[in-house]
Amino acid sequence: MELDNANPTIVNPSELPSYRERRKIKDESRQKQGIRQLFMGKSSYAIDPFYLSDYSDTDSDDSNVEPIDEQEIYDLIAPITDPEHPFSLASLGVVKLEDVHLGSPTDPTKAAALSHVLVELTPTVTHCSLATVIGLCVRVRLDQALPPSFRVEVKIKSGTHNQSEEVNKQLADKERVAAALENAQLMGVLRNMMKTCLEP
Amino acid sequence: MTDAPIDSSIRIQHIADFKPPALSRAWASIPNPNDIPLIATATSDKTVRVYSLKNFTLHSKLEKAHERSVRSVAWQPRIKGNESVMSIATGSFDATMGIWHRREQFGEHGDSRQDETGGDEVAEVEISGFGQSKPHKRMDNSDDDSDESSPEDWEYSIVLEGHDSEIKSVAYSPSGQYLASCSRDKSIWIWEEIGEEGEDEFETVAVLQEHDADVKCVTWRKDDGNGEVLASGSYDDTIRLWRGDDEGEWSSVAVLEGHEGTVWSLQWEPEVSRKAFMQSEGTDNENEYNKPAQRLLSSSADHSIRVWSKAPTPPPPNKPSYFSNAGIPSTMRPGPSMETWVCSATLPTVHTLPVYSISWSPISGRVCSTSSDGRIVVYEEQTKGRTSVGGEIERAWVVIGTIESAHGPYEINHITWCKRFDSGKRRPDEELIITTGDDGAVRAWSLEEVTQNEKTSASDVPSS
Repeated sequence: MELDNANPTIVNPSELPSYRERRKIKDESRQKQGIRQLFMGKSSYAIDPFYLSDYSDTDSDDSNVEPIDEQEIYDLIAPITDPEHPFSLASLGVVKLEDVHLGSPTDPTKAAALSHVLVELTPTVTHCSLATVIGLCVRVRLDQALPPSFRVEVKIKSGTHNQSEEVNKQLADKERVAAALENAQLMGVLRNMMKTCLEP
Repeated sequence: MTDAPIDSSIRIQHIADFKPPALSRAWASIPNPNDIPLIATATSDKTVRVYSLKNFTLHSKLEKAHERSVRSVAWQPRIKGNESVMSIATGSFDATMGIWHRREQFGEHGDSRQDETGGDEVAEVEISGFGQSKPHKRMDNSDDDSDESSPEDWEYSIVLEGHDSEIKSVAYSPSGQYLASCSRDKSIWIWEEIGEEGEDEFETVAVLQEHDADVKCVTWRKDDGNGEVLASGSYDDTIRLWRGDDEGEWSSVAVLEGHEGTVWSLQWEPEVSRKAFMQSEGTDNENEYNKPAQRLLSSSADHSIRVWSKAPTPPPPNKPSYFSNAGIPSTMRPGPSMETWVCSATLPTVHTLPVYSISWSPISGRVCSTSSDGRIVVYEEQTKGRTSVGGEIERAWVVIGTIESAHGPYEINHITWCKRFDSGKRRPDEELIITTGDDGAVRAWSLEEVTQNEKTSASDVPSS
């Protein structure tokens, strides 16, 4: 297969934004003699109970759960593998922390208040034919990992792709996304891309 | 939210959930059009659940035929002489349409056999006042299997193939003569049942391919003397109207442009609201030719709900020049049957996300809508009278009730008005609102008129 972009720019993983430090400090203050102390200063893939955990469990008491922020959403999608390169979307610069936007819940006093997530993707090349698959994978990952009160919008960052409007409209179409999930072949591709999300 | 005029004169009250619910996304729930107290729910678990409107419990199930989500379901309008058979059409993401039959005797008031003999098997749900329904006995002993061997099961009689990709919507014409299906493959197929009754022979009478993208919804208008008209809404943001000519050739007779997003749902104006309109216009007479054409209601991903009216012919002179025949080659001219439709009203904007579904009540003329934002909104068209002597009568759509988070945090895919049949019914023509959501739940809501001094927030969110 001919690659759309045979020579992508790769970002050094150590330069990627990570939640590890913040979480560790929080965890430390909570439980002084945690085993996680041992991992201080190690690579960004240190074991972290919060890292990539699925938030689909809505039965838990909301009052004890910290609100989900942009970094956490970024952490859910950053490790997704590009469909044509053995690199993560974050290291290819397709997913960037500053392009994850979180709208505040419409009414925080209501348990079922909706949150709006907007993720803008930067394809590696403006004609990337896999933009739709990448976008779909990001949307599916977030739909599955975030609580049902999150309305996820995935867009191609304006000016970075010559068919961004068409791609955006497809990614916003709930019915098309639902039908894509029932397509075994496409789901196989997405599962492969998301494998790296489930590895510690 | 918005600055939409809200006159909360009704309270939307949750009265029951249909049990047991689907465990995954439910797409749409369609009440039986023949006064049989049943409602059919299309679900992503590849089945259709038929629930009783008398006690909000499962009546029967259509299963083991489709390989993917059942996206859409339609009841065949009752055809004289064949009243012991119920027929359903299902449209699936597996690109096929199924026709199903179930033989069943119904009493004068539409009682099904199950309701009459269900003593042992079915615990009637108790409705106390506006109260909650109690859990159904069947929930505990899960004897659904016994139903499957019943001779009155739904029989999957024929599969209609032709579409290249997911079927999004199926609809029977009011006469029962035609069946329409539409798909992501941009086409609409019109099928006609031919041959003897019960033979299940269908013929494709038209394949309509003028939409530029996925066709999301189709709905039929009653024959007004010139044949039944089909309306379709699309991912290309337009609505098209289709009509068959004397030779049986079907073609697009109007394109309705204005929405700035996918058109998700369409509804033709019911007779009750058409009559009210004619009375206010002072044109109330029985001459069909003087009646204004039924209006069309549409909802879209652009968050809006619009009302479309047929423009009087010839079009007024302030129309753009392409509506006049002067100066363009004759082949470009619209055919003699081409109609001009205009957006005559926009309902107050309350929804903040795509409006997936709307319903126009044939009893009250009220409209209800629902959206990805989880709200139910009820609107009423009110006559303001003439503002100047001899001027046009002004009418306005007003929001008369809303409720937030009607399915908790989940998206709501479908809403419909539905005649009330359960024991809590208070008037012969009382209606419920039925909503269908991503949580698999199908919920029933009643409307309470609110008196002037208790007009507060018209919300009563059910705990789930």
